[in-house]
Amino acid sequence: MALVDREPSRYLPDYDVQAPKQLHFSPYADNGGSVVAIAGDDFSIIAADTRLSAGFSIYTRKQEKLFTLSSNTVLGCSGCWCDTLTLTRVMAARMQMYEHEHHKTMATPAAAQMLSTMLYYKRFFPYYVSNILAGLDSEGKGVIYRYDPVGHCEKNYYVAGGSSGALLQPLLDNQVGYLNQENVEKVPITKEKALAIIKDVFTSAAERDIYTGDGIFIKIITKDGIATDFFELRRD
Amino acid sequence: MFLTRSEYDRGVNTFSPEGRLFQVEYAIEAIKLGWTAIGICTSEGVILAVEKRTTSLLMEPTMVEKIVEIDKHIGCVSSGLMADSRTLIDRARIECQNHWFTYDEKMSVESVAQAVSNLAIQFGDSDDDGSAMSRPFGVALLFAGIDEKGPQLFHLDPSGTFVQYDAKAIGSGSEGAQQSLQEVYHKSMTLKEATKAALKILKQVMEEKLNDTNIEVMSMTPEAKFHMFTKEELQEVLASLPETREDSLRSTSNMTPSIRTSLSMQSQ
Repeated sequence: MALVDREPSRYLPDYDVQAPKQLHFSPYADNGGSVVAIAGDDFSIIAADTRLSAGFSIYTRKQEKLFTLSSNTVLGCSGCWCDTLTLTRVMAARMQMYEHEHHKTMATPAAAQMLSTMLYYKRFFPYYVSNILAGLDSEGKGVIYRYDPVGHCEKNYYVAGGSSGALLQPLLDNQVGYLNQENVEKVPITKEKALAIIKDVFTSAAERDIYTGDGIFIKIITKDGIATDFFELRRD
Repeated sequence: MFLTRSEYDRGVNTFSPEGRLFQVEYAIEAIKLGWTAIGICTSEGVILAVEKRTTSLLMEPTMVEKIVEIDKHIGCVSSGLMADSRTLIDRARIECQNHWFTYDEKMSVESVAQAVSNLAIQFGDSDDDGSAMSRPFGVALLFAGIDEKGPQLFHLDPSGTFVQYDAKAIGSGSEGAQQSLQEVYHKSMTLKEATKAALKILKQVMEEKLNDTNIEVMSMTPEAKFHMFTKEELQEVLASLPETREDSLRSTSNMTPSIRTSLSMQSQ
């Protein structure tokens, strides 16, 4: 009799349960953050805000989200911070291995392609990260690459990504790409103008987006190396 | 040949007391039975030339493919066991495509040589994860390519050693050919001069008379990349070579391939 008592089916309803069973597994967090990058003829500027948040709470106001991969390549990441950490460490390791294997530093276009394949290799459990890669190409021209979390890669010369991406991209379209402007002279953007625009758009983003604020780190990439700048944003 | 030949020449994993790996040394010897191949690197590009021995008159000479394309910017010639070279060339091609896939750029010639070398030294006894190769590859390769460092020539031998050369000869006539290369090579050589020099040296070391079917020539230039010489182009270069006394002595019919060739080279 003891065996029969323990028979589990005896304690379950003998009819089908209509309600769907829900299984909860949420491996991702959205830690916010925005990245903006603008490239010109001989430079590339990339900037990211320094706020790391989760919902209505702020983890830190001083988190750098730009990763210097080589003397002319910088990766900006926003999204799930733990994925960012892993992705950038793997990226750095791959860059180092490439340097040992081929006796040269990985060029920005090569790093761009590698990042795309790395993301796609995790097609069915992706890194939840919005990536923007800035650097110089083989001719010293500024280049920006933007990605979706599963490896789609697009080359551009001005890009906004992260929590304020959708907010800032049309603004850049207008200010950098001269879109929707009439009778405008389309002069190539200078380094100074790009820097000013980046500071302005981040100030605007911090007004409307609670996941963007506190300050921005800026990396200015030229043939002479990478210069760093910091700019304060509102902290509320 | 080797004074201390003993039990130590059986396995590839055992050093002799003198510190030698006989199987590897024998593999290097095996190349000296193969056809002669010459590579010359100039500032304008790289040239590869190789003799094609036909072991039978009934054999289709175009089936013998000794110079192959690894990628658009790298060509390769082998000497030794043809079948072994296929494996190495396959690897080289795969590595090139992999590199392009991952990095969207051409693989450097040195990196290709390195990648193939990694395969070449994997001989040894089988281990836990399956079977390993039982012997070294009996083939030497010359990689001729152009990358961001310009035209380059690399030599890879069965021990997995790879070295960059200005000019290199492999195969049966390699010793004499290398000597001749040393005499004629200079840094300011044009590609045309290099082509003529390569064929002239090939002519010296080959038993048969040179013609447009028993040699293969490839040029690697920044403009045209991998280019196999057509019959017409070969005839043009051959015609420009000075007639030597041996030419008139040699039979022009090529009716008698040497016995050595027909006996030992059937698999090579």
